[in-house]
This record gives sequence, C-alpha cells and structure tokens, in this order.
Amino acid sequence: MSMADLAPSVPAQTARSGGLARLAVAATVALLFAGGGFLLHAEQQGQVIALLAAFVAVFALAEKVPVGRRIVGLCRAHPGTVNLTAAVSILAIAAALREEHYTLLMMATVALFATAAAGLTLQMAFAGVPNFAGAAFFAVGAYVAALLGNTGIPHLLVLLIAGLAAAVLGLVLLLPVLRTRGHYAALVTIAFGLLLRAFLEVNDVLGGPQGMKVKSFSLFGLDFSRMTEIGPYDVSFYLPYALASCALFGLAFFLVRRLETSFVGVALDAVRSDEVAASVFGLSIARWKATAFLLGNAMIGVAGALYGMMNGFVNPNSANFGDSLIMLSILVLGGLGNLWGAVVAAVVILVIPEKLQAIQEFRLVIFALLVIAILRFRPSGLMPRAARDFSALVKGGAK
Amino acid sequence: MSPLLACSGLTMRFGGLTALDALDIRVGKGETIGLVGPNGSGKTTFFNVLTGLYKPSAGAVQLAEQDLFARSAQEIGRAGVARTFQRSRLMLDQTVFDNIALGALGRLDLSLLSALVLRGRFRRQLSELVERATALTRRFNPQIAANLFKPAGSFTMIDRRRIEICRALVGSPRLLLLDEPSAGMTHEETRALMDDLLAFREEMPDLAIVLVEHEMDVIRRISDRCIVLNFGRKIFEGPFDALIADREVQTAYLGGAQ
Ligand SMILES: Nc1ncnc2c1ncn2[C@@H]1O[C@H](COP(=O)(O)OP(=O)(O)O)[C@@H](O)[C@H]1O
Ligand SMILES: [Mg+2]
Repeated sequence: MSMADLAPSVPAQTARSGGLARLAVAATVALLFAGGGFLLHAEQQGQVIALLAAFVAVFALAEKVPVGRRIVGLCRAHPGTVNLTAAVSILAIAAALREEHYTLLMMATVALFATAAAGLTLQMAFAGVPNFAGAAFFAVGAYVAALLGNTGIPHLLVLLIAGLAAAVLGLVLLLPVLRTRGHYAALVTIAFGLLLRAFLEVNDVLGGPQGMKVKSFSLFGLDFSRMTEIGPYDVSFYLPYALASCALFGLAFFLVRRLETSFVGVALDAVRSDEVAASVFGLSIARWKATAFLLGNAMIGVAGALYGMMNGFVNPNSANFGDSLIMLSILVLGGLGNLWGAVVAAVVILVIPEKLQAIQEFRLVIFALLVIAILRFRPSGLMPRAARDFSALVKGGAK
Repeated sequence: MSPLLACSGLTMRFGGLTALDALDIRVGKGETIGLVGPNGSGKTTFFNVLTGLYKPSAGAVQLAEQDLFARSAQEIGRAGVARTFQRSRLMLDQTVFDNIALGALGRLDLSLLSALVLRGRFRRQLSELVERATALTRRFNPQIAANLFKPAGSFTMIDRRRIEICRALVGSPRLLLLDEPSAGMTHEETRALMDDLLAFREEMPDLAIVLVEHEMDVIRRISDRCIVLNFGRKIFEGPFDALIADREVQTAYLGGAQ
C-alpha cells in the first residue's frame, strides 16, 4: 500500500450527501432482499436460474467495478441503515408471502441456521475454536424443547433452558478442546457429535431412533401451530415461526455485533490470531475460548429448540455430521465473521438445492459448482468481514 | 534500594542444552540496559523466560519484590512487563488500534455485561484509549496516528516495528523488553527509531528498558549499562566503554570463544 492510500480517509461530508448515501444503502439492501424473496417464492426453473445468474453477477461485480466498491463501502459505513432496511424488508417479504407454507418454512429455516451460524461465528471466526458438532448442539436444543414443551414452562423460558443445556453439555468438550489445537480440537468435536448421536439412538427415554414429538411453540398463550389468521388476513401457521426465527436471528446478530465492537471482540481476535502475543499482554487464552464456546453453543441450542418446535419432532438424525458441515459451510461461504454473509450463504446452501428440484439429478451438480465457483473467485467468502473500525463509536456521542 | 527486576541463578535448559546458565541480572527503575551477545547466546530465551513463555528450570525472578518465578505469561504481563518480539508478532489483518489495544486490555473492563448492555463504561475507556493510542503513535509517525483503523499489514516494516513498540508501551509497563527492534532496518531508520525511543524515555523516567541490539552505535547511545551473554552465561557487565575494551567480549564476538 502506498502512502497515498494511507492518507486520512474522512472527507468532509455534508448532511446532504450523507442522506443520499443512506438512500443508496437502503435501496441496495432492499433490492438484495427482494431478490431473496423472489428466490424463496420462485417455482419455475427459468426464474430460479435467472435469479441465480443475477446473484452471481452481483457478487462477481461487487468488488470489480468502482460503483460496486463504492456501494460496498457505503454499506459498511452505514450499518444502522443496513439493519433497519433489512428488518423492514423481512417484514415486507413475510407479509407478501404470508400464505405460503413451504416458502415461510424455508425462511424460518434460513433464519435459524443463520442464528446457529452466529453462534459458530463467536466460536470459530472470533475465538478460533473449531466446532464440527453444530448440528449436535442444535439437536440438544430440540430435545430439550421436546422434554419441556409439555410441562407448562413458558416456551420463551424453554428456549433459554435449551440454550443453557447446550452450553452445559458443551462443558464436557471444553477441556479437551482447550488442551488440543487446530485439527485435533476439530476431531474432538467430531467425535462428540458422533457420540451424542449414538447415545440418542440407544436412549429409550429420548425415544430411541424414532426420536420425540415436540410441542409447537406458543408465545404468551398464542399457539403458533393454530394461527391461521391475523386480523382479516389468512396466514400460514409458518408465518409466526418465520417472524420469530427472524427475531431470534436479530437478537443473535445484536449480541454478536455488540461483542465484536467491544474490548471483548478485540480480546477474542487476539486470542485467535496470536496466542503468544495475547498471553504476554495478560489475556487468559482459556477464559476467552471457553467464553466464546459456551456462548456460541447456547445460541445454537436456542435456535435448535425453536427449529424442533417448528418441525414438531426431533430424532437422532438431527444431530448428523452432514448438518454440522452445512452450518460450517454457511460460515465459510458467507465470509468468516460476517453475519450478513452467513444469511446470504444460508440462502445459497439451504434454499437453492430445494429450488432446483425439477432438474433432480443435476441439482447437486449445479449446487456444488456454485459453491466451488464462489470459493474460487471469493476465497474469503461472499461478504468478507471488515476490519473493526471504532471511529464511529468514538466520535458519534450518543447511541 | 532494591532493584526493579532481580534475577538470580536464572537457568533454562532445553533437554541437554543450557540456554541460560545461572544468570544474575538486576535492572533498576528507570535504567536502560543494552543486552548483547552473539546469535544463539540466549538473549531471546531470557526474554521468553522473563515473560512467562518458557518455564525456567531454576533460579529466582522478582519484579519490585513480587515473585514472578515460573508464573504464567498473563500474571507477568499484568505485573507490568511488556515486550516486543524479534520476529514481529503483529496481527496484520487487524487494525493498528486493535493491535495497540491488546497492550492495554489487561487493565480494561472486559466484562460481558459492559460489552453487551452497559456500554457507557466501555465507551469511556474506548475514547481514552483511542486518544492515548493516537498520542503514542503520533510521536513515532503521524501517518500511523491518522490511520489507526487501517489494517496493520498495510504499513511498512519500520511502521510495524513502531506499532509493536506502541503496543508494548500503551499499558504503561514498568519493564519494557525490546528484542532487536532495528532488525532489517537501514541506518537512518534505526537512528530515527532510537531518537523516538530516547524522546520517550524523557517522559517515562521510571520505565526500565532492556534492549537487545547488534548495532554498537545504538547501544552506546541509549544504554546506561551493558550486559553481554555468551552461551547463556553473563560474561560482562558494565558501561559501554569498558565493554569495547573487554577481551572476552571481543573473542566471543569474533567467534574465538569455542
Ligand atoms: N524452544 C526452544 N527449544 C530448544 N532450544 C531452544 C529453544 N529456544 C531457544 N533455544 C536454543 O537456545 C539457545 C539460545 O537461543 P536464543 O535465545 O534465541 O538466542 P539469541 O536470541 O541470543 O540469538 C540457542 O541455542 C537456541 O537454539
Ligand atoms: Mg534472539
């Protein structure tokens, strides 16, 4: 990098250009979500393929053409606008697709897997603790929901307990994961996932191989599975699940971003990047890895509980290694450490294979090619994490 | 008055190799020690032992009366020992500020509660730290101060060294260990760096520094006292002029001490 690039980069911005910038950011985000909404809704192969092509074009060009770079930069500079537009877009999509069971189910699935990915982000992208047992912790949450769903405990509390249970179960793994490093730590988590699944299969209290029924989620006495209309509108009973799942992701997003933009985030990044330097400057490697691991598993557990309630059942197969890999792929494909990336990647990985149903035998080929292409042309993921810039927190007094 | 740092009989063995051989080293408050010796004589190992990266085999280490023998790196870091590394250990993907903040984290509020909810305290500490990091880096190079939130990897070698030194200084240590800070630099760059350090010295009169350095010019300019290691043993201790005249030191450097 030359000295010119290092020159102070804050041009005097007038309020007007700030407003324009926000508008551009909002339009971009809304457009992306509209594309996502169309993809969720699309049924004809032609439409799906056209959307895929548009998607590839957007991400291929984003950093190649000046306008693209500019817009990416603006989005990074205005996270508040991005988040607000995203929330509004999600509500709009949900309202537009309110009667479509399958579409809403997919929307909820994407949000819950993205929530799990948020947990994995804390663990792997921040603290550098590998976790190849994401689906296992997800399943733990669902089993807790199955066990406690009928007991009269308010379901919000059940979600919380599910998270706690996943975190506590993760304690079993904590020592071996802290003592080993890299591939070995990864192996430990793989072994744990396999073990848990085997345990669930032989455990009759937990329903053995058949698994268990999970009672549907109810919030303040409102049973989600019985909701078929809101006011004058007929809605799918998946609509409340889709909204609740998105809200849960919103909460996870908020927590992870807050941690990232705090000294805790600095500490986690230091522990991941350089254990020697981190410990010389007084950080306890074990403390921070453990914190990230437990918090991350709690998030995955909560997401798994809601997922189980939505599906109405859970079985040992929920804890399979393949699903753990899917969660990891979401993380890597989206860009380690960028939660919006995780959302986009969750759509790519969970929705696109479903949408390509009609060309059955080729769909996995197309899907695999897409993933390989993404990693070939964007090795650090669709939306790489940006360096942490605290300047907004320092200058902008309130907020 | 007792010294700030007192090591006695400090010994570090790697299997059959004795890398530090019963070292007695004292460093007073505000003193600058030039630590020299041929490659492999144990200078870096001494730093690694002092900062808790290696567990010493025998001896005693005290910092201001506090026993630091075989303590963990964290405890030692929190006791006020900071260092740079011979091979730079900056986190290049992270911003200059993140790198420097690491040097202060041990003293900051790292509770989850203030990270997540009660952000007031965090933001106050953040503002202070940004100010401090700006002031620190500005003395070394205003360009660094103006780009605190750019990745450390986008800076030149000499600026990276400066950032590493700022990271070590930001936590107001009592003892600063600098391991060949001028390695790979030109004469002019080395001189500039040492000017900065000397200017710094004026402002932190209590800070003790141990500097490992091969350039004798540098050693002469900034050290109050010199210590020479060879094969892990201290073979000389005294003022620079005496060092130049010492026969054992000369043979060690010329490789004649086999
Ligand atoms: N981790 C280690 N394991 C084994 N031997 C080591 C280790 N670290 C240093 N040594 C040995 O200790 C001796 C001193 O090395 P070092 O402290 O790096 O020297 P200097 O910094 O003075 O050049 C060398 O012989 C080196 O090979
Ligand atoms: Mg060395």
